[in-house]
Amino acid sequence: MNLALSQSALPVRLRFARPMSDAELLQFCERNEAVQVERDANGEIIVMSPAGIGSSKMNLRIARLLDEWAESDGRGVTTGPDGGYILPDGSMRSPDAAWTSLRRLKETGMEDETGFASICPDFIIELRSNSDRLAALEAKMEMWIANGAELAWLIDPERKAVAIYRPGESPELLSEPTSVQGTGPVAGFELVTSRIWQ
Amino acid sequence: MNLAFTESQLPVRLRFEQPLSDDALARFSSDNDPLRIERDANGELIVMTPLHSDSGALEGEILLELGRWARTDGRGKVFSSNAGFTLPDGSVRAPDASWISLRRWNALTRAQQQSYAPICPEFLIEVRSNSDRLINLEAKMEMWIANGAELAWLIDPERKAVAIYRPGESPELLNEPTSVQGTGPVAGFELVLSRIWQ
Repeated sequence: MNLALSQSALPVRLRFARPMSDAELLQFCERNEAVQVERDANGEIIVMSPAGIGSSKMNLRIARLLDEWAESDGRGVTTGPDGGYILPDGSMRSPDAAWTSLRRLKETGMEDETGFASICPDFIIELRSNSDRLAALEAKMEMWIANGAELAWLIDPERKAVAIYRPGESPELLSEPTSVQGTGPVAGFELVTSRIWQ
Repeated sequence: MNLAFTESQLPVRLRFEQPLSDDALARFSSDNDPLRIERDANGELIVMTPLHSDSGALEGEILLELGRWARTDGRGKVFSSNAGFTLPDGSVRAPDASWISLRRWNALTRAQQQSYAPICPEFLIEVRSNSDRLINLEAKMEMWIANGAELAWLIDPERKAVAIYRPGESPELLNEPTSVQGTGPVAGFELVLSRIWQ
């Protein structure tokens, strides 16, 4: 059964009579690969439009740089914008890039890597796209920290700005930084911003 | 853009960032033809599965009886379940069968008649199908009365029961009635149920 939607109507929030189980949600995501899907803490499904190619290019670059570092570092696993995590608040989110230590993945029994990971990544990056409202993204960053992320970066390529979120601290705002240094779980990772924006 | 669902996941409620205009709602409905779509007072869309064949036959039977009577009676018009009305609470609803007096129908402009007309039917019938939860349908019946319906029948073929709603009164429950008598706006209409209970 199909529901036709115009892309301009997205994002749309869906509320089913019976909330989807995690397995049903995974199936729903697999059937609807053309859109980005998340689940809110209240059980609502959020369906978002695919990213534009400018955003996709930057997102891939960021995830690749993080993954290159992670591969040589060897302590953790990187995922891209299609990786879903089930967070302590019951929501399912797909950060644009995320890093989780192997040690924590093993503790939660997720080392077999099937399905969504029931864990909050240690470090996440969100990339703002033109259609993202800043207030909604800022709330999302707070949500990451509230769910247990130790470090979260919000990268705004339009304004060439990065906001750094850590538990118990106000966000640190960097305007046109030439590079951003990883701390805590990803100490040693450096993102050179000229590789993201010109 | 298509979203794939399983039938068992419906009904689903959709919330857009901007509530759909009446025109956008009409387009959305025709793009999704076999699905039944209503708009709630809060702007959410409710997407329901098409009726199963036996429920459709039953609905047809009821519509036929109401239509026959209305034609002889001559005071009003009968509407099928595809007719949407804009109710005083701002919702757009389509009862399974409904009747509006010519006096009130003719007071609408042509343009209003050609839209989701801003009118609440004086009399309507809702038929419960297997997938309808009773509590939701009861709330819907109250909603009809709150929006100005003078008489509303809820027919439950599974339990062979009819509930009759009128303003200012508790619903009257009839158990396996052989027929139901119209009152108020549709005094004179009799729905013989023996054929429907088969």
